[in-house]
Amino acid sequence: MNSKRKYEFSWELLGDIEAGRPNLGNTTRVEIYRLMQFTFRDIIEQNLGSRKTDEIFFAAGKLAGKEFYKHTIRHTEDLNDFVNQLQEALKDLGIGILRIEKTDMEKGELTLTVSEDLDCSGLPETGYEICTYDEGFISSLLESFTGKAFEVKEIDCWSTGDRTCRFSAKAITEMNQEEQI
Amino acid sequence: MIKEDLQELLNYLKALVFDIKTNAVIPQKFAADEDFLELDKSLKSIRNATVELSAGNLSYEIQGKGFVIGSLKNLQASLRNITWKTKAIATGDFSQSVHFLGDFSDAFNSMTQKLASSILEMKEAQEHFEMVFHTIPDATLITSMDEGNLIAYNKAFLEISQYTEAEIRDEKINMFNLYISRDQRGLLLEKLRKDGFSQNMEVAFQNKDKEKIIGLISSKIIKIEGEDHILSVIRDITPLKKIEKKLQESEERHRLLADNAADVIWTMDLEGKFTYVSPSVQKLRGYSVDEVLQQSQEELLCPGSLIYMQQGLENAIRSVQNNQPFNVFRGELEQPCKDGSTVWTETTVSGIYNENSEFIGMLGVSRDISERKNMEEEIRKLSVTDKLTQIYNRLKLDETLEEQWNDANKTEIPFSLMIVDIDHFKFVNDTFGHQAGDIVLVELANILEMNVGSVDVVGRWGGEEFLIILPKTDRGSALLLAEKLRMLINEKIFTKVGKITASFGVADYNKDSSPDTIVFRADSALYKAKENGRNRVEYL
Repeated sequence: MNSKRKYEFSWELLGDIEAGRPNLGNTTRVEIYRLMQFTFRDIIEQNLGSRKTDEIFFAAGKLAGKEFYKHTIRHTEDLNDFVNQLQEALKDLGIGILRIEKTDMEKGELTLTVSEDLDCSGLPETGYEICTYDEGFISSLLESFTGKAFEVKEIDCWSTGDRTCRFSAKAITEMNQEEQI
Repeated sequence: MIKEDLQELLNYLKALVFDIKTNAVIPQKFAADEDFLELDKSLKSIRNATVELSAGNLSYEIQGKGFVIGSLKNLQASLRNITWKTKAIATGDFSQSVHFLGDFSDAFNSMTQKLASSILEMKEAQEHFEMVFHTIPDATLITSMDEGNLIAYNKAFLEISQYTEAEIRDEKINMFNLYISRDQRGLLLEKLRKDGFSQNMEVAFQNKDKEKIIGLISSKIIKIEGEDHILSVIRDITPLKKIEKKLQESEERHRLLADNAADVIWTMDLEGKFTYVSPSVQKLRGYSVDEVLQQSQEELLCPGSLIYMQQGLENAIRSVQNNQPFNVFRGELEQPCKDGSTVWTETTVSGIYNENSEFIGMLGVSRDISERKNMEEEIRKLSVTDKLTQIYNRLKLDETLEEQWNDANKTEIPFSLMIVDIDHFKFVNDTFGHQAGDIVLVELANILEMNVGSVDVVGRWGGEEFLIILPKTDRGSALLLAEKLRMLINEKIFTKVGKITASFGVADYNKDSSPDTIVFRADSALYKAKENGRNRVEYL
């Protein structure tokens, strides 16, 4: 199956930007990123429906989070160090301003916000949370750090009229799974 | 004028915004209006959120959507994040910083950096203190003030106390147990309460094996969590004390030796003052130790010896000043005694150096050599004395003649000499015997000895011949003396023999080429006297 795949992701696919864009460099405008994302959403939704589109974006976010962690975050077992690294990386790359509101690692619970989010900040109010890609991205980062799967849910979003995106993360434990059931 | 229903709406909204408590009811006319109800819900949500946030309740779940509520949520998110960061900082994570909150970010980050640097400084200071505490070679410990419980200690303390860390952990040791006399701890506490510190108090401790340890304890009161504690450093001076005792014993032994030695042992500083004189000096010179310590160098030594000693010591000290070793001085010195006599000592002086090899004084040993000196004098006398007559012998006469001739050669002041020969002495011996002849020789020698000047030298030249050397005497004076002596001999009734006579040959210095030529001329004059009938004086 894998041998037949055409678009399997690898970090190398990001290419040698320095060589490839000696004049324009490695930045582009946010509109262009959003143009690509929302046109993807549009076409995928038309082909697969809204729910499947959300699933696809969540899964893509997860894959991105996993690769991002692998290539950007230095291994650490200290939560603060992990958060610091992540904050710095997200800020430097212009993805968003990550802030932790609450952590309870014994329970596997976190509340975090992303301001000036690449995906949604400044979007017109749509009445529904749009950051499914972020949800997947954050859950994968937390899983990579803790070794436990996380369920991440966006509870506030610019597109629902808030000024910052707030995510609630919970480790998926047997107890949590029971709660969900 | 505003219409009444609009005024009612305004009053309702004003109550929501301005009043602490509001019982305002939605005006009837708007109660069913969905847009107003949505606005009303958002206003109430903003009011509630503002109240909760201003009260510091960050866990309040802000309801609703929209720009203002979203901004409040953003503010709440920032405050929650700051709370989280502050908690992280409180656990020692100074990597936390705040961004994009304007002046607050700078203030917060400056505070964190200052806190981090202060904590680092404190940590470094603590590490430095601990490093010093643990590496200090003296036993160092912190104890509670009243109970004497051991709070902290270093390796040196374990070594000195012989306790193990486990025993200390199990509280098998208390400072009270370490003091041989608890009164000493009481004294220390008293001093600490009075002055706050104590320095170098000598205290007797005992280790786990009950061995006595003498320590110098220096202590200071310090505060730990608001309670008084004692920081103490104990220097183990037990080995030092043992050495000190041995040194003391050794000093006492040496002092005993010095005090009881027959020789006089003394030490002198660089200014030439005695710093110690052994009591044997009293036996040697009659002066007490205290008297000797006060004496000047002129009072210590007879003039000849003083010059000799001063020269010797000057040479020795000059050697030291030129970074050469102090040359041991040995010399025979004559010292005045309290009874007016003098005593000869053989003195050896060597240098005293301190631990830095610096010359700090002199150590001398003076031995009484009077007996030896007397014997030497006796021997010297015997060597120049004629055994029979006890006047000078030929050796002394030759020496004196040589000296006089040398002096005369230099000064051209003349001297004279005369040879005296007993007439017909062979007849005396043959007639009265050799014993009688010897008595004649002795009695005649006495006449000569008793009637010459004090500087004149009378000696037996050989057989019945005598030689008299007359320093600074010209021929005329010599002839007068010779004539006087001839008369005395002529008048003397000698034992057993009766009357005898003697002939005199006189000669004076006349730029002679050697002493022998003068003697030759005197001898020739004597021959002439004999030729001319004896009992007379002739000169040449």
